[in-house]
Amino acid sequence: MRLTGKTVLITGAARGLGRATALACADEGADLALLDVCGDLDGVPYPLGTRGQLEHTATLCRKAGAAVLTAPCDVRDLASVESAVALTEDRFGRVDAVVNNAGIAAPSGKPVHDIGEDEWALMIDVDLTGAWRVIRTVARAMSARRAGSIVNVSSTAGLVGYRHFAGYVAAKHGLIGLTKAAALDYAPTKVRVNAVCPGSVRDDATAEGRMLAEIARALEVQVGEHEQTFTEAQPMNALIEPGDVAAAVVYLVSDDSRQVTGSVLTVDGGFTAR
Amino acid sequence: MVGEQCHAVRVRLSGSVATAEPAARLAAVGPWRLWVEETAVGSDEPAAHRLRAAELNRPTASVRCVLLRHRDGVADLVVVADRAVLDPDGLARLVEVLATGAEGPLPAPSARPVAPPSAAPAPDWGGGTRGDTSWGTHALDLPSGPASTDILAALALTLHRYAGHGATGDVAVATDRRGALRIEFPAGSPVSALRSAEPAPTDSPVVAGVVEPTADGAPFHLGVPADHLPCLAPPFPLTLALLPRPTGGTRLWAAYRRSHFSAGIVEAFLRHLAHVLGQFADAVPDTPVDDIELLDAAERERVVLLGRPAGPPPGAPERITDALARVTAATPDAPAVGDGTSVLTYRELDEQAARTARGLVARGVAPGDRVGICLERTTELVVAMLAVLKAGAAYVPTDPAYPADRLAHTARDAGLDVVITRLAEYPADAGTPVTPDELIAAAEQGGELPGDGGPDDPAYVIYTSGSTGRPKGVVVPHRNVVALIDATREEYGLGPDDVWSLFHSGAFDFSVWEMWGCLLTGGRLVVVPYLVSREPDEFRDLLLRERVTVLSQTPSAFSQFLETDHAPLAVRLVVFGGEPLDARMLLRWFDRHPEDECRVVNMFGITETTVHVTAQTLTRELALAGSKSVGPALPGWRLYVTDVRGRLVPPGVTGEIRVGGAGVALGYLGQPDLTAARFTPDPHAEGRRYHSGDLGRLRPDGTLEHLGRIDSQVKIRGFRIELDEIRSVLLEDPEVHAAAVVVRRDDPADPATAHLDAYVVPAGLDPAGVRKRAATVLPAYMLPATLTALDALPLTTNGKLDAERLPEPARTAPATPAPVGTEGTAAVLQEIWSDVLGTRVGLDDDFFELGGNSLLAVRISAVLRSRGLPAVPLRDLFRTPTIRALAGTGQDA
Repeated sequence: MRLTGKTVLITGAARGLGRATALACADEGADLALLDVCGDLDGVPYPLGTRGQLEHTATLCRKAGAAVLTAPCDVRDLASVESAVALTEDRFGRVDAVVNNAGIAAPSGKPVHDIGEDEWALMIDVDLTGAWRVIRTVARAMSARRAGSIVNVSSTAGLVGYRHFAGYVAAKHGLIGLTKAAALDYAPTKVRVNAVCPGSVRDDATAEGRMLAEIARALEVQVGEHEQTFTEAQPMNALIEPGDVAAAVVYLVSDDSRQVTGSVLTVDGGFTAR
Repeated sequence: MVGEQCHAVRVRLSGSVATAEPAARLAAVGPWRLWVEETAVGSDEPAAHRLRAAELNRPTASVRCVLLRHRDGVADLVVVADRAVLDPDGLARLVEVLATGAEGPLPAPSARPVAPPSAAPAPDWGGGTRGDTSWGTHALDLPSGPASTDILAALALTLHRYAGHGATGDVAVATDRRGALRIEFPAGSPVSALRSAEPAPTDSPVVAGVVEPTADGAPFHLGVPADHLPCLAPPFPLTLALLPRPTGGTRLWAAYRRSHFSAGIVEAFLRHLAHVLGQFADAVPDTPVDDIELLDAAERERVVLLGRPAGPPPGAPERITDALARVTAATPDAPAVGDGTSVLTYRELDEQAARTARGLVARGVAPGDRVGICLERTTELVVAMLAVLKAGAAYVPTDPAYPADRLAHTARDAGLDVVITRLAEYPADAGTPVTPDELIAAAEQGGELPGDGGPDDPAYVIYTSGSTGRPKGVVVPHRNVVALIDATREEYGLGPDDVWSLFHSGAFDFSVWEMWGCLLTGGRLVVVPYLVSREPDEFRDLLLRERVTVLSQTPSAFSQFLETDHAPLAVRLVVFGGEPLDARMLLRWFDRHPEDECRVVNMFGITETTVHVTAQTLTRELALAGSKSVGPALPGWRLYVTDVRGRLVPPGVTGEIRVGGAGVALGYLGQPDLTAARFTPDPHAEGRRYHSGDLGRLRPDGTLEHLGRIDSQVKIRGFRIELDEIRSVLLEDPEVHAAAVVVRRDDPADPATAHLDAYVVPAGLDPAGVRKRAATVLPAYMLPATLTALDALPLTTNGKLDAERLPEPARTAPATPAPVGTEGTAAVLQEIWSDVLGTRVGLDDDFFELGGNSLLAVRISAVLRSRGLPAVPLRDLFRTPTIRALAGTGQDA
């Protein structure tokens, strides 16, 4: 059990990678603060995580022996982030690690000149600035304790471009930039900041993930066709499983990676190796 | 919000207690919320245990109440509180309110905890693991409830005893409410004084302290069974508390940092603390504190056995000559001893020795006499020694290289009538010199060998130079030598196939091991001529030529030998003796000779206990760890580590090494008083034991750590300094092959001018680099003032370090007048340094190379302060001893 005694805060924990990561952390003995927006956002053309999904993640984690706190949290709103972190600190005493997993894949599917001002701002606000809000809220206490791990869930879209996904690509590139700069800011106080870059992750039924489907929809292609294309694009000729990404996150949260900071760990079956 | 300041309780609530009840009760007594956790597991499942432990160990800044409701209807209430918000009384009351519905209000804290004082470094007896940040707990039920007011005094006394030999009579301890306290117990003070002493506040760092019980001094108490953690992390490296046992009585509870202590040591420490507490309660008030014991009878017995490992049963006491006669009868034609020019078989050795012995008898030597031997290392030396024994006398070896007055002193002190020597200039008043040839000639005049003496007759007298006074003669009987060989023969597979080198002077008792170890096990002894023993390359050639299998060396000599190409040797056993060994040196040996090809054994020994006492087989693993273990006692030898009063100290604690058993010598020749003082009756067995004057500690596994001479501990400017420790740190540098550290005074009359001079090998080393590395490990006061690189360390004729022949230390002046900066901090520092050091200082000159020391550093800081500038911490100066580096540091800060 590599995370015994640690409290891990995960955003976007209702489903998908968030749920898989929460379970993996619970299996390693962590206690969890599970946050999710628990509602739809104007401008995002697909349903986001729900309260019911978040509580289901919590139940799964409790069965694994974790103490769990759930709270709704909108990463676009600093006050919402601050109150969720305060609640976590009240319950668990401290936050040992943060997984900035909350993010949206759409609105997307158009060339740069067709992206509306609001669409651009929304994408950056959630996928990049949201992580910054969480980091700025937890970093002071982590620095004071001279311990902490922050894991930002970026994407291969943080390393290479994808056609018709400029907002997402820009936000995920920005998240890697934020990771590296924050790593240097907090290295003197032993707080680590790293990024994980998943490739194309299978929409696991029990995790209720829908990222791949939403990307396909944005590109106006069939999900099956899209899966096929991305499977072939990844040299290991398989989609990434949510648990593969969760395992990478657990490593970065755990003390096994205590000298790792500012790093970008790709879990993409070799996609960016070309 | 740190665990050190928090305490926690868990109680089981009956299933009928609904969430609402405790929540409402809590709301009535404080501004805290009740967290309810539906655990999704049964209360006995491992996950539930984990959850309980997690909640109990989760610190808070105020108060946290968590209700864990398990699937089986059972609930656990966990309350964690900052002791500044709720003291033990308040915590107990809150739990009562929540669990039973008792009425509030909660008592306010009676005294606030204070910030814990700084932690002392890990004690050398603690067995901690450097860098381990975790901590553990241990508890011990006490037979009776001690007065909780006694715990501090008992803790101080136990710590004082653990501090070991020469510890001063005051100890710093701490409590969570009163901070660090100094407790004194002058020698001879009674227990009552210690128990009633009012400790004074101090700012010393502490290694142990107590989390105090409730305001009225009564231990924390709850009406219901509960888990209670007095702290969620040890505020002091060793943190103690007295807790109530659910079944009545008191429990001594400890939390300890693993960086400072091992579980085994804490377990023993609590046992000893409990024993001290018990004696406090029972003692007559005027019992001297010194009479309080750490160990009870049962534990003393265990410690005695620890120093007395099992081994083959000792053989019957026997004379060396009788043991050798058996070997000679078994293999008369096997080669016994050679020196490159001649080889004698066992029969020839026996015959020549018998002839020489008859010559001695003809010269009037009688059983019980002492005969001097002052011969070069040749087969003749071996023949002469055996001859003296055959004549029923004891041999008194001296080295032909000794100065005349030492030879004369030995001869007079030992009352020598006959000295076998070929020295033309043998001193006139030192017995009658006679050559081996003359003895053989005299044998023709008849002279019958005496009948058998006993195994308790003296076999040899070897003179050892103590730190004070003239050398004294140690009288060793036959049986001890035979016991030494019996104790090692099987373990090291000593036998007729072995070829031993006789490397050491007959006057050094390491040669007793080499010579009799070989001959009594039927091996072939190769005498190494003196000049060959001084030339590592020639010695290597000899080992190769003679196919030597058993090599005995002092570490100093071996370190020079390691510079040769030693790869092709046939050596299967290397035995170290005579000096402390730094195991790291062996890595270069193991590179060429893996452990399965050649066994390497370090034997700690004392002339007064017949060459060796303990044996430690060394491995690459131990060498890498820089092990200081010299191993367990040899079978038949008994090892004790005692305090100044001769009482056994607990394993891990430093004390004087005392040795009993098969190796104890008869005493000092002609010095009955000294003999009576140093050889005393063994309180734990028959016979006597020898007070070695060496410091050591017996580890819990029965191995001994040898920590140097009691008198090699020196004080410089008030600091207790162990030279061996500094040497050991210097040797950690992979570039350093050998090292020596000495204390010198610039003005012999002025202790303030005392400083440490270090010497390192090889000559090509960069002293500044070695110093910089050492500065990261050694405290400032232990850093040598000078560091001089040499080709080799000077050795005595016995192959040990010859400190007197170390050269004057190199004090490097700046090689070139360095460019002097003109601006800012650097310029000011340059001006002050130049003034204080009395030489023009460049930006990159090393403070210590220029003769700087901690006193001068203090003066520099004083000047800086007088000018309103920040002082330079000594620590920084050791890490960055140049102005450029320091000025850079200053600007960043």
